[in-house]
Amino acid sequence: MSAGGSLVSVNLAASIEQASVGDPYRIDADGAPYVPAGDGGIVLGVRVGDGVWQHIADHAAPGACLTHSDPAAAYALSAQACIGNLVTVRSGEAAGECGMVTGKRGEGGRVIVTFAQPVLGRLRPGDQVAVVGRGQGAADLAPGAVLRNIDPDLLSELPVETPGGKVSVGVRAVLPSRVVGNGIGRPTPMWDLDLQLTPASAGGFGAAGLRLGDLVAITDIDARFNAGYRRGWVSVGLVVHGGSPQPGHGPGVTVILSGPAGAFVLNADATDHCGLREETVLEAGRDN
Amino acid sequence: MVSNAGQLITQVLAGEVWPPLADRHGFRVNPDGHAFLLPGMGGVTLGVHCGDPATGYAGDHVEPGLSVRHRDPAANYALQYLSCIGNTVTVSSGPGAGAEGFVIGQHAYVLVDMAEPDMRQVTTGDQVTVLAVGQGLALAEHPDVVVKNCSPRLLAALAGGTRADGRLEVHVAARIPAEAIGAGSGMVSEYANTDLMGAYAGLGEDLSLGLEGLRVGDVVAMADQDHRFGRGYREGFMSIGVISTGSCQLFGHGPGPSTIMSGPASAFRIIDDSDANIGVLAVPPGAAPAGAAPAGDAR
Repeated sequence: MSAGGSLVSVNLAASIEQASVGDPYRIDADGAPYVPAGDGGIVLGVRVGDGVWQHIADHAAPGACLTHSDPAAAYALSAQACIGNLVTVRSGEAAGECGMVTGKRGEGGRVIVTFAQPVLGRLRPGDQVAVVGRGQGAADLAPGAVLRNIDPDLLSELPVETPGGKVSVGVRAVLPSRVVGNGIGRPTPMWDLDLQLTPASAGGFGAAGLRLGDLVAITDIDARFNAGYRRGWVSVGLVVHGGSPQPGHGPGVTVILSGPAGAFVLNADATDHCGLREETVLEAGRDN
Repeated sequence: MVSNAGQLITQVLAGEVWPPLADRHGFRVNPDGHAFLLPGMGGVTLGVHCGDPATGYAGDHVEPGLSVRHRDPAANYALQYLSCIGNTVTVSSGPGAGAEGFVIGQHAYVLVDMAEPDMRQVTTGDQVTVLAVGQGLALAEHPDVVVKNCSPRLLAALAGGTRADGRLEVHVAARIPAEAIGAGSGMVSEYANTDLMGAYAGLGEDLSLGLEGLRVGDVVAMADQDHRFGRGYREGFMSIGVISTGSCQLFGHGPGPSTIMSGPASAFRIIDDSDANIGVLAVPPGAAPAGAAPAGDAR
């Protein structure tokens, strides 16, 4: 539901995260310990368009994660930053370079920013950045179809159209609600929904080819506020991070649309789907 | 049924009845986007015991009885991880000192049921003592089944056991579809519990998965859930839990089972039985303390 009026843009301060690990080991779904690599911070070599299981990593996102040292400010950062927002580096070797918000992650209030790989290589944890937060409060895209977590200006770059009062969306796969794990029951402006898929199980759901930047639809999930089960609803999101060996975790989806199934026309294409392109992201950074 | 209960050790753990917590904004959001402010989590929640309905209260995350934590974060994790369903809990301070109850599950608090007159003597800040025993429990005839959060006393009280075909017979009051699994997925299965959606009594039919009849203490079977090393979806697996929390208005949350067993579905034989409830562990008023035996609550 839109609050009405025009969207407000806010300059949000954030810093580039350092990945942190407590106990060196996490336990995978089969009970085996592993050392998590790529879970937050700056991750090199993971790009929008890569397969979600292409890298040996845990929750690896394409680029760098942002956070804020004050917990309340970190929640505001994750709630108000939206996919498509411009990010400018303000300190360090990469000062002046730009990137784009390509997702958000739960619990710690992380924002995922994609930069060109050479820029990413010059970033260092602790570098300061500014995010132009814009998108929350956007008007419904069609009757009943609420928009969340995305700057509406980016929609023209995605396979999203609104013919005849419905939202037509191209997606990699339409997934049942039972595969949603971590993130269910949490506020979707600040959490993603992890898909409990593995390379072994994804094929059964038409998601073997799942890539970072893909759009996916999840049936029977109402994600307007907290995410939860509601029969006859659909939520659509962007795949923002890769798979995880942990039970209950997996490729993450930041929800951008949610509403009654009747508000949507879903066009699934398991092989040729293209959601958010890396070129789109990098051009947005270059143009500023 | 052969178990290693005789090899388990008992640890004496201190806890404190922890207050309900709120923030300055007060309200939370229900499935329809409406604000609510309701009691349920923390403190001492009166009038809800094992065998009572889990839903239908004007409450959120209703935690029956005492909600217990420890002030030190690491000591609290030990308390949460090591306390097992059926463990004896004794009130150690305040007017209710000496009263006895038992652990019914975890929910980021250890939850303790006791007789209503005893519970009325307890309030926030009172100290309790948990005789923690159960982690490490294993069933020799069922090596594929991981047992957790289950005291030997609860194991002995559960209907069923090893069948002639080698499978583990477990009686359950309800079968939970994978669609109902809400908040708690992806977390470790020795902490908090698995909120079930589809039990929002009084709200829309499109939210219902037919779980409005759950009772506190019910033993339930969760389909396609592997909780051996955390909580996750896995086709062909089964997890058994005990409903330890009740009604929620917060969307994606709901009555929650604390997990006691998990393994391949083929390792179990599930029997529908409306009497499958841990209320049988309740200490009758005036009974000898169950914690008096040297072996803790193993019997």
